[in-house]
Formats: sequence, structure tokens, C-alpha cells
Amino acid sequence: MKIEIDLKLCEGNERCVAAAPEVFEVRDDQAHLRIENPPDSLIEKVKLAVRMCPRQAISLREK
Amino acid sequence: MEARTAANPGAKPRELSLDTIDIVSPEHYEQNGYPHAEWAYLRKHKPVFHVEHPRTDPFWAITKAADIMEISKQPRLWLNGPRLAVFVLAPGEEALPPEALPLKHLLNMDPPEHGEYRRLLSTYFTPRSVRALEPEVTRITTEVLNDLMGRTECDFVTEISARVPVAVIAEMLGVPRPDWPRMFRWTNEIIGGGDPEFQRGENPTETFAQARMEVFEYFTNMVEERRKHPTNDVTSILANAKINGAPMPTLELLSYLLVLVVAGNETTRNATTGGLLAMIENPDQFERLKADPGMIKSAVEEIARWTSPVIQFARTATQDTVVRGQKIRAGESVCLFYPSANRDEDVFDEPFKFDIGRNPNPHLAFGIGEHFCLGSNLARLELEVIFRELAKRLESAELAGPISRLRSSFVGGIKHMPIRYKLSPARN
Repeated sequence: MKIEIDLKLCEGNERCVAAAPEVFEVRDDQAHLRIENPPDSLIEKVKLAVRMCPRQAISLREK
Repeated sequence: MEARTAANPGAKPRELSLDTIDIVSPEHYEQNGYPHAEWAYLRKHKPVFHVEHPRTDPFWAITKAADIMEISKQPRLWLNGPRLAVFVLAPGEEALPPEALPLKHLLNMDPPEHGEYRRLLSTYFTPRSVRALEPEVTRITTEVLNDLMGRTECDFVTEISARVPVAVIAEMLGVPRPDWPRMFRWTNEIIGGGDPEFQRGENPTETFAQARMEVFEYFTNMVEERRKHPTNDVTSILANAKINGAPMPTLELLSYLLVLVVAGNETTRNATTGGLLAMIENPDQFERLKADPGMIKSAVEEIARWTSPVIQFARTATQDTVVRGQKIRAGESVCLFYPSANRDEDVFDEPFKFDIGRNPNPHLAFGIGEHFCLGSNLARLELEVIFRELAKRLESAELAGPISRLRSSFVGGIKHMPIRYKLSPARN
């Protein structure tokens, strides 16, 4: 799985951090990945972050 | 209508059926609070439900979280402009002809225009920006609580939960302190014009129109002032902002400010009041927060989920489409019931349990997608500070009389909540 964040859409609302703090962080009002390849154990949290991003800025792609 | 509130415990629950279910009469909300039993019934039996009501246009009621998310995330298929929310006329009130000059603002704009207006302020409402306001919010909250020292009873709404958000948004807009009470009144009249307590004109529509005119007059002067002498408050930012290279049209500018005044006010007030009510009804949860202040963030999320102060917004389909198997035609509208989404059994374990440690808590109290609440981070900060201070200082609280609810099916308001309390002094 590859996580992509569209920084043009991101407003830095930190909802991804709330959903998956192990994977996302927000610096200077923009979301960034803390780890590029989250382990399978975090996939459900990442999917929640994708769903709950208010700006639909995060997407998941099969590698 | 039969009331099933704590005030009327003898009343039997009505048998629910699709023929008689009522989820839009403002009087129903005033008397009984949120119709959670009705929403639960609809989620189970008819999650996309066609509603006809004598005092509003027909619409489809959407009660499942997944459907609300799907609709909210397609702002070009589902427009805000044609119908912002399901507004219900007062009995006997006649529908007004469509306004000759419809006001456009952040809530009823659609893409791409909406994004251009939203971007003007979005950086002022990020978590980082609002965090800078924390000392100020703390100062205001402490002051509000200090005013209650030496007494044992108060109206929690007018004396606490209403005062903090008015002060905060007024500070952001640069409204001087002597004018704060006016902002409070305008908010009540614009949101609660359908309630006899706040009605000033002949009917809700007139009350709304009058309050709106006063807000416009007030900010017209302030905008002129800020154009001559720019400051760093939000009024100044908007007064001097450009849309596509030109200054924002006056009506759009005034409407923008109006939305900030109203939205920055009423909803946080009601989340605060409803939050304390939940703590009073679930004292173990308040004790939990007092014992572990580190829970404040998840407590705030749970308060937002539990209270869901915005009841509904509507969307109108631009083309024939399907929601959960139900065909919906172009031009028809859907009504998104956020409090229902926040009790959705498919999303939350034990949705009717108030649990300040709930995690994850993917609630939709602030909406989602294109129109996701611009002020959500500010609201979160205010709730964090208020409940942090309450957890520190409120030794005890109980209801000292019946609460009174706003007659509205748009915003879930508590107008008055008398409490008996014991408050300790601020510690530094």
C-alpha cells in the first residue's frame, strides 16, 4: 500500500493524526508521513484516516 | 404530541411507524430533544426516507453515517446552493417568495467559488493558528468562571457556555467588548428566530431579516474603518481581501462576517451546555476526566459526537443518482442528519454510551468534505479549555430545575440550564 497526501487539498486539520498518530503528523499546517510503509497492523487506522480526512487529501494505492 | 422527557417520565413511548414519524417539526425538538428513537428506527428500517411535511418542501432523510459521508464528499453532484437546510415554517406562516437578491455565503456557495472564499480564512483556523489563542481563551474562561464564585446557582447557558464563544469570536473579528452583548442577541435571533423567546418581528423570517440587517449595518461601518486602517483581525483580512483580483462584493463580505458571528457562537455554546449535561448525567465520566486530565482531547471528541449541535444541512442533486439503492432524481433534495450519523450502530460500539475515552471516534459533528466546519479547530480549542477548567474547578454540579430547549430543527439548542454547583477558586 502506498499512501499519498495531496498538499494542495490539505488544510492541516489533523484528523489523520487523530486516526493514525503512528503514521501521520502535521507540521506547518500540512500533513506528512512519519513512516512511508506502515505495517499491516496499522492499515485499518490508515484507512480510517483516509475516510475521515475532511478535505479528501489522502489516498491509498496498491503498490 | 407526547413528551417522553425526564420532565414527563410517565408518558409512554409512542409506537414508531413510517407513517407518523416526525424528525423535522421544531416543536418536537423543543419538547423532546433530539428524536434519537426515530433516527434509530429509520437507520434500521428506512435509511433513505422520503419525508413530506406540511410546512416544508419534501426531502429525503439520510440517517446513516456512510451515506452522509458519500454525499458530502461529492460537492458537484450534491449542491448546497439550492437548499441549505430543511427549514420549517411556523404554523400559519406563509412561505416567502424567493428573495430578489439571494445572499451568498460560505455555507450556500458551491465549487469552485466556495473554495476561493474558504481559502481566504482557512489558514486562520488551522490547529496551529487557533493554538495561539489558547492563553486568551483560558483568560476569558477563567474570568467567566470567576464571576460565578460566591454563589451556588446559575443558568449555565447564559452565564457560562454562551459567554466564552461570543468573546472568542468577537476577539477574532475585532469587535470591541461593549458590543459583545449585541452579538449574542443577533446570534439568538438569527438561529432561534423560530423560538418565541427570541422572536422580535411578526414571525421567524422577519426576526431573522431584522437581525441580519443590524449585523450588516454594524459591520458596514467596521469594514470601512478597516479599509482605511487595516489591522490584523479577521474583519480586516476580509475587508481587504481580493476575489479573482477584485475586492469582495459588499453583500458577500457582510454575509461572510454574519456567518462567522453566528457559526462561531451558537454551536460551541450548545456543545458546552450539552457536554456539561452529559457529565451531570454520567458522573463517572466527569470523575474520570478529573482524575486524568490527559483525557481532555478524547473527551472533547466525545462531547462533539454526543451533542452534535448542528442537526442537519441539505444537499440538492444535480443529476439522477442513487443512494443506498434508492433512486433520487435531479432537483430533489436530501437532508443529512448528523446526530443520527453519530449514533450509527455500524460505526460506533455502544453508540448510546457517553464514553470520554472513546477511540476511534470518527464522528461527523463537524461534517466532512467541501463544507467541513471551518471553525472546528477553534471549537475544539474552546471546548478543551472550558472542560479542562471545569474539571479543575467544578467540585459538584447538578440540575437545579428543568432545562429549556430551542424550538428549532436546524440547531439543537439549550436556552437555559439552571444548575446548583460548587466551584473552587482559580489556581495558578
